[in-house]
Amino acid sequence: MNREALVSLVNISKTYGRVYALEDINLEFFAGEIVSLVGDNGAGKSTLTKIISGTEKPDDGGEISLQGEKVLKWSSAKARSWGIETVFQNRALSEQQTIYDNVFLGREITNRFGFVNRKQEIEETEALMRQIGYTSKVWTPLSSVDKLSGGERQGVAIARAILFDSRMVVLDEPTSAMALSETAEVLEFIKRLKESGKSVVFISHNPWDAYAVADRFVILERGKIAIDCPKGDLTVDDFIALLHRFAKKDAKK
Amino acid sequence: MKATTPKILLPERYRAVVGALFFFCIMLLLFTLRSPGVFLDIGIYSAIFLSLPLFMILGLSLVFCVVAGEIDLSFPSIVTLTGFTFAWTLENTGNNFLIATPCSLLVGVLCGLLNAFLVVKLGLSSLITTLGMNFALVGLTQILNQGQIRTFEELNDTIIRTVLVGSTGPVPNQMLWALVLAVILGLVFHRHKFGLHVRICGDNPEAGRAMGVNIEATKTICFVFVGVASSIVAIQGVYLNSTYFSTVGDGFLLPVLAAIFIGGTPVTGGRGTIGGMVVGAATVAFIQTGVVASGLDGFWTSFGFGLAVVLSLFGHRKFSGRLTR
Repeated sequence: MNREALVSLVNISKTYGRVYALEDINLEFFAGEIVSLVGDNGAGKSTLTKIISGTEKPDDGGEISLQGEKVLKWSSAKARSWGIETVFQNRALSEQQTIYDNVFLGREITNRFGFVNRKQEIEETEALMRQIGYTSKVWTPLSSVDKLSGGERQGVAIARAILFDSRMVVLDEPTSAMALSETAEVLEFIKRLKESGKSVVFISHNPWDAYAVADRFVILERGKIAIDCPKGDLTVDDFIALLHRFAKKDAKK
Repeated sequence: MKATTPKILLPERYRAVVGALFFFCIMLLLFTLRSPGVFLDIGIYSAIFLSLPLFMILGLSLVFCVVAGEIDLSFPSIVTLTGFTFAWTLENTGNNFLIATPCSLLVGVLCGLLNAFLVVKLGLSSLITTLGMNFALVGLTQILNQGQIRTFEELNDTIIRTVLVGSTGPVPNQMLWALVLAVILGLVFHRHKFGLHVRICGDNPEAGRAMGVNIEATKTICFVFVGVASSIVAIQGVYLNSTYFSTVGDGFLLPVLAAIFIGGTPVTGGRGTIGGMVVGAATVAFIQTGVVASGLDGFWTSFGFGLAVVLSLFGHRKFSGRLTR
């Protein structure tokens, strides 16, 4: 591939005691591409997510490069400052606070005395909500998060992730335990992320969701990459059959 | 997209205040109907404004603590200890206000830091820890004070006394100070990023940490706030009565807690209101004075507090729907 990778993982391994969570992972992520990262429980999806987001460090010998430049001492602060945002499974939202408070949490727009510029935060949140496809006229940036459906909450978490010119968004099981209509809403948010030129890593247990939005599939099996192929190489039936095969193999072991 | 039309058009952030105000107005109306001669006279309001600021100042600081998901039950004993510090320093420095005030404030800060260390750093329950601290600090003060009553009649005609607890027309100055403090803390709570971080502490601290909010530091500042507010109340108390006695903090605990909950700040944290707390404090102060002024026996006061707390929950349910937990 001639394009320059935004994020490259080279020989990434992670062990916990004697257990290999990840073994010799080599992956590249590109702008404007959605990579569906799938695999059974214990395949290493969460560990890989944590390494990309900087909350876990890889074992010695592994390298992480950002636009071709190798990064030393990888951390969550470095990941965020470069533009890698992670939407964790638990959504990390404060439910009693307003949408705009959640979107700007930790990076509030303030004057020199620390007072929040509410007007600007509300306007920017409104624009952001439109950008990711919020169409409801009932909920405004002033609505509290506990009034939103699961899909809408995930939308707030995604909005927060893309707010500060992020280049890559990692979504850790954003559709888990959601109703069909909410899932459709979240998948639509994810497509908008791609349209805005960001690299998206979509972690999911659900093969239909993963297939629906992906440009490329990475299937993990017991800490290793089993398949890394573009969507065009697999029909949805092939994809699901592959996942079933890996799941059965795991069960036998 | 889920779309439900809100039943009440009042913005959500004002509902707790309106709920508290609704209850306060009904109570005032009942008092006035029972004793119109008393409650249509300005004298009763001047009397209420003597005690109201003390409840307000303590309650204002405690709102931050409760919203941050903690509670500090040691503030009455911090009032006692910081009052002792102030009185003792006055006695030993020739009534030097400029030395006694920082000493008292410093002890308040240290008490707040100690509570924060036990709760935030060591992870102990704030309810039990501060209850224990309440006993410990009162005991410590009694050991230090040895039951003495310290009088400061020479403070009576000083400028500082006039400024702190004198009168502007019929309004005691401490009421004006309390209102200024309420406005400042209201701005901090509702408009400053610190106020947001306090709410996050009580709502979802993990979310706060993930987004870079220093939850531990925020909670520590809340405990220090309570210590400083207790010291301010103690200093005002000494100037108001020209006397220090080691029971000065008694009688604050339940009324101040009642004021916070009547004001619409839920015990579960994450949400609260400074305006509501001011109305809650007014409700408590009116019950204390109003019960007696309307001709009822003083024993009715506690009954009135209990009734106010329970009935105010109905007001909050009516206006807010969820501040009843």
